[in-house]
Amino acid sequence: MKALFNTGRTSAQGQGLEAKARPEYMEATSVCMMNPVDLMDLDLEEGERVHVRGPAGEVVLTTVLNEGVPRGTVYVPMGPYANAVIDAGTHATGMPDYKSCMVDLEATDDEVKTPADLMEAVGGVAYRGDEE
Amino acid sequence: MIHEDMICPFCGCLCDDLVIETEGTEVVRVDNACTLGSHKLMNAGTHRLKSPIMREGGAWRDARYEEAIEYAAGILLDADRPLLYGWSSTQGEAQGTGVSMAELLGGVIDSTTSVCHGPSILAIQEVGHPGCTLGQVKNRADLIVYWGCNPTEAHPRHMSRYTTYADGYFLENAFRDRKLILVDVRKTETASIADEFVQVKPGGDYAVLSALRAIVRGREDVVPPTVAGVTKEQLLRVAALCKEAKFGALFFGVGLTMSPGKYKNVRNAIELVDELSRHTKFTLTPLRGHYNVYGSNEVFTWMTGYPYAVDFSRQIAFYNPGETTAVDLMARKECDAALIVASDPGAHFPKKCLEHLASIPSVLIDPMHTMTTPLVRCQIPTAVTGMDAPGTAYRMDGVPIHVKKFMDLGYPTDTEIIGSIFEKVKEVRHP
Ligand code: SF4
Repeated sequence: MKALFNTGRTSAQGQGLEAKARPEYMEATSVCMMNPVDLMDLDLEEGERVHVRGPAGEVVLTTVLNEGVPRGTVYVPMGPYANAVIDAGTHATGMPDYKSCMVDLEATDDEVKTPADLMEAVGGVAYRGDEE
Repeated sequence: MIHEDMICPFCGCLCDDLVIETEGTEVVRVDNACTLGSHKLMNAGTHRLKSPIMREGGAWRDARYEEAIEYAAGILLDADRPLLYGWSSTQGEAQGTGVSMAELLGGVIDSTTSVCHGPSILAIQEVGHPGCTLGQVKNRADLIVYWGCNPTEAHPRHMSRYTTYADGYFLENAFRDRKLILVDVRKTETASIADEFVQVKPGGDYAVLSALRAIVRGREDVVPPTVAGVTKEQLLRVAALCKEAKFGALFFGVGLTMSPGKYKNVRNAIELVDELSRHTKFTLTPLRGHYNVYGSNEVFTWMTGYPYAVDFSRQIAFYNPGETTAVDLMARKECDAALIVASDPGAHFPKKCLEHLASIPSVLIDPMHTMTTPLVRCQIPTAVTGMDAPGTAYRMDGVPIHVKKFMDLGYPTDTEIIGSIFEKVKEVRHP
């Protein structure tokens, strides 16, 4: 299924901002908010996972039902998951297309990666010095 | 201990009425803040990095401050095109030192503005900014328009301090007299209390703004029955509400700046406000996200003439968003070293940029372990401005506010760390 990919702030994402190494931040940013009808079309229940492929890459997200999201659109809180699919082109404005790329959605059983996995996938080294 | 009249260092509202209770070095209670602010204040003491850390081979180790500062100065001096990026969650004083250092290095300095309200600034540079302070809005505005933003989630106290739920000196019954129009692509919580909720098809903001301008100009005859999913009847109602208002205030968020059209959307909004001001008084204010992102624009501007994306490689200040902005520099693999200050590109930049960031020498100055931590080679923790460091911050309406310190955890401030790096740079490259 094709959909318009929209990103933005949510208060859960905002609360997690100051402690991004904590699980709350992963929970808040790895969700894909969808219209109930679209969710049904994908044959998914809320909480099951969806594979999102965009112009710059792909990512697995947990679905969340949201009546406010129009059909044919998905809303993903800003963060490392949303950015895994967004292209870096800015049309000479400095600003990437955070709100207007097209993605392909598909039901999946794959696990949602952790933020540390995502950062290692782009060449980083996870820091675990503060884990209790 | 109880600390009164404290400033919240989270979003661009910079609420200045917080009451914070501390026990030793712990925050035990925060009054008046919204959930975002109190989360930051309650937790910011606990998730701090204990000391600088450096990457060696495939692993992290603790480091001393001197060593980390030495390393930071070294990579910046060695680079041909260093990028100094971030600056939105730090003190104005640190921003100023950063600009001086970027100039001496011949580097590029950019703030998170380029990925939030950069397009708003481009529009303002084209057609001006009909703005005012939030105090004027609170006391006078009888019509509020929120466009492409969601204050309930991103600036939770904006409505209670300055608009819908605030008392107004010149309004008899502010809550009843103040109308609210919300324009967005999705139906958010704020929509339920709006007098008009205008749901625009994604990417349709420019067309809707143009239609409203036409109506305000008396040319409703050129407006088709629906514009980007909005009916002409509703557009006529919205235009009438705007014209009838005594004082209208339009606030907008990244829903306009990030959508197709980007700065042209904002330009169109400014021109609508201009048009409305021929009938009544109307103003426009971007809802700025980080508590001092506006400060980075102020400081950069009074030092260099440009608000963000300033390139000193020609030994004069050069500014060309789209070329000298951080996302573009990284995507083109142009910068060969990076100093990231008080921001988190790891969480907010497209993947391609992060791949480049991970491949170059880089230092992060940030109190916490963030998404950017795994991507850099060294991180230096500092005090959080508004908790264990005082400093200057600019509210979203451009009012500078002295942010206070209410505890001490022994960390150096951003200004001190950047100042020390700058000293090392100066030893090699004389001003
Ligand atoms: S609205 Fe913004 S400044 Fe005010 S308490 Fe909430 S986060 Fe802090």
